[in-house]
Amino acid sequence: MTTRARFLPPWLMTGARFILGLALAAMLWEAAVLLLGIRPHILPRLSTILSAIAATPGAYWSGFLRTLAETLIGFAAGGIVGVLNGVLFFRAPALRDLLFPIFVVSQTIPVIAFGALVVLWFGNTMLAKAVIAFYLTFFPVTVNTLLGLQSVDPRHTALLRSFGASGRQQLLRLQLPMALPQIFVALRLAASLSLVGAIVGEWFGDTTGLGVLLLQAMYNENVVGLWAAILCAAVLGTGFYGLVALAERRILFWGAEQ
Amino acid sequence: MNRGALRGALGVALLLILWEGLARGLALPSYTLPSVSEILLSAWTTRQALLTAAWFTLAEALAGYAIGCVVGIGIALLLSLLPPVRRGVMPVMMAINSVPVAAWSPLLLLWLGVGMASKIAAVALAVGFTVFLSALAGLDRVDRRAADLMRSFGAGPLSILWRLRLPTALPLIAAGMRVSTVRSLIVAIVTEMLGAYGGLGWIIYQAVVQIDFVAVWSAILVASALSLAFFGLVGVIERRVIFWRSS
Amino acid sequence: MQRRHLLAATGAAAVLPALGLRAQGTTKATLRLKWLPQTQFAGFYLAKARGYYEAEGIDLTINPGGPNLLTENLVATGADTFGLSGGTDSVFAAREKNLPVVCVGVSHQQTPFFFVTRADGPIRSLQDFKGKTITTWFTGANYVLLGMLAKAGLRPGDFTMQPQQVSVTPFVDGQIDVVTATKYNEFYTLMTRMGRDKLRTFVAEDQGITFPRDTLIVSETTARQKPEMVKGFLRASIKGWREALRDQKAGVDAVMAVAPTLNRDHQEFMLVEAGKLMTAGAAAQQGLFWIDNGAIRSAHDFLREHEVIKTPVDLAAAYDGSFLNSIAVADRLA
Repeated sequence: MTTRARFLPPWLMTGARFILGLALAAMLWEAAVLLLGIRPHILPRLSTILSAIAATPGAYWSGFLRTLAETLIGFAAGGIVGVLNGVLFFRAPALRDLLFPIFVVSQTIPVIAFGALVVLWFGNTMLAKAVIAFYLTFFPVTVNTLLGLQSVDPRHTALLRSFGASGRQQLLRLQLPMALPQIFVALRLAASLSLVGAIVGEWFGDTTGLGVLLLQAMYNENVVGLWAAILCAAVLGTGFYGLVALAERRILFWGAEQ
Repeated sequence: MNRGALRGALGVALLLILWEGLARGLALPSYTLPSVSEILLSAWTTRQALLTAAWFTLAEALAGYAIGCVVGIGIALLLSLLPPVRRGVMPVMMAINSVPVAAWSPLLLLWLGVGMASKIAAVALAVGFTVFLSALAGLDRVDRRAADLMRSFGAGPLSILWRLRLPTALPLIAAGMRVSTVRSLIVAIVTEMLGAYGGLGWIIYQAVVQIDFVAVWSAILVASALSLAFFGLVGVIERRVIFWRSS
Repeated sequence: MQRRHLLAATGAAAVLPALGLRAQGTTKATLRLKWLPQTQFAGFYLAKARGYYEAEGIDLTINPGGPNLLTENLVATGADTFGLSGGTDSVFAAREKNLPVVCVGVSHQQTPFFFVTRADGPIRSLQDFKGKTITTWFTGANYVLLGMLAKAGLRPGDFTMQPQQVSVTPFVDGQIDVVTATKYNEFYTLMTRMGRDKLRTFVAEDQGITFPRDTLIVSETTARQKPEMVKGFLRASIKGWREALRDQKAGVDAVMAVAPTLNRDHQEFMLVEAGKLMTAGAAAQQGLFWIDNGAIRSAHDFLREHEVIKTPVDLAAAYDGSFLNSIAVADRLA
């Protein structure tokens, strides 16, 4: 509404508002701990946590990068396989009927119970962590892709077919674009889930990563360290989620233009 | 419909046969992969302990689920009515949500103790955010022209919410609730593994320490069955409700 | 563009044979720890940092443990070559479940945990545990406590025993009366939060119960096929440990290099305590990682008595001191 606002691109406004919101929350946090006299064992001051990170920045930075890499690999694999699965199930209902229940069952298993099996099968590599991130992400994407494709009005499909569009054209021109909003809902969820997968994966005997830092802090009852790791995870998660949301807005916007 | 269920059963049966064959054919030791029959037998002989634990976990998951759904939908409705508040609160919400529940669990244990409260809180957190995000996405999905039309007829924001936005959002809210069923049990189990007085996660933790891998698998089997039943139940309710709303 | 490729290729060609040569001389192996990096394992990290494993022809990777990871399982399946596993109790359990693992050395000669009460509280003796609330680990420590209390004339119904995990806060806050603490970890937390003089400890050894823990294990296959590698691993590890215990700063540094976010004060304390546990009992004369058959037999019989082990374990097959005995006693002494 102000003159300045008109010159700023909307994404910058969102960003500024975002940072302002966080800064406000940070001040509230610091003030609450100080004024309410909250025991540091329950909630330490934000400044204490930040200085803990500043004391060994290398450890947090390398942990951050490592977890980021695992998250990205797991997310990419889960997203691609999820969309492909969705398309496959849409095209071949028989296959969907056959495999879908198994997929559902697979999602009811808490991976953490099988730490040893994961190490046994995938070793101590980054792959093992990415596999867990993948395991958590592919299913929501599969489901939403399928739902999105199924929600396309069959009359539109019929119309396109009457113009002689091939199955592939129908898929790429009509069905997938129409399903995109649904797919992106799942991708946003997957962004969070792949981070969960990466962190839990690091609980199976690793040396670097935010999950390792979390575990170490938790069992040493190092509450400041715990919060420091949580903060890093929050930055990673928010950043990644924001990127996916940004991509969603861009791509869906383009879709609407067409 | 019936044919689909038949195929599904076929798929599961094929997998089980493959599993049993693999475990027996390669004579895999139980610490690598126990056979299905071994797991079923163990689950049957320890059914008493497993059922007690299952109730324990289910109680935590259900309580957390209910709290999470109510709070999640409630906050989504509230924020969709108050756009300025929403813009301010969203960054903090996103930051909290982006921290995996697995990271909150240790803190919740420190805050709320090893009892049921910490598990209920963890489940409520996980379910709450999933439902909240899908509800918000659903509420945003409303056709702007329809809202404008209603507004031009003098409808207030509350009436638009109730008559237009909520019905439009319902399928997404329901989807979020359905996905959350499975998560609720997993989060309860994972938190139990970190510290508990009982439950399936506690049984799994104990079994791993005692090198009883068949017991791990049979606890997972029960957890899985429980999740599926919960998932199915919410699915059935969803179909009824949405059917009723759209007719 | 092409020239740069060529250059890179020749560069790689020059480096690769050198790498190949090194790989030929050494055998790849892994050590799976029972927990995350901390000075409880300082000797291994120092030996690795100083190249002692390489000198023995072992290219060793140290893999930390984690919750729900069982070292015995990973060693039995061959996922890891060596393991520093839970202790005599977990080796018994593994052997009972037919996991083909052999213990080739014992690190902590005595029970590494004890039971802690408030110094100014009502509990002055084991008899006072009656009617009190106790938290302990249901992974072996619970039986030690039951055994100790049995000797004091108490029966399981006389007190409330709850599982303990993650936090000692309930004890600090006074919600429970007795807490279990390892001498090097939880006890440090308790001391920093309450003060040493506020705490009273009850030690298993005072009741004639000993639970040696932190066991070095290999698979039966490794023990049979690569005895030289097992001996070399022990030599290098002992060398690392002797130096870590003598030069504790170097020991702490080696661990802090791997896990920089650790609290240095705590790690220094831990190394001192680990040193005490490793040189206690028979190890004072026989050196580090000594397998004290008497202590193991008594731990075994104790667990049999409480029916934690359903069938007797063949101790001679489960604990093999021959690898350790290939090293002169003088070289094993800390």
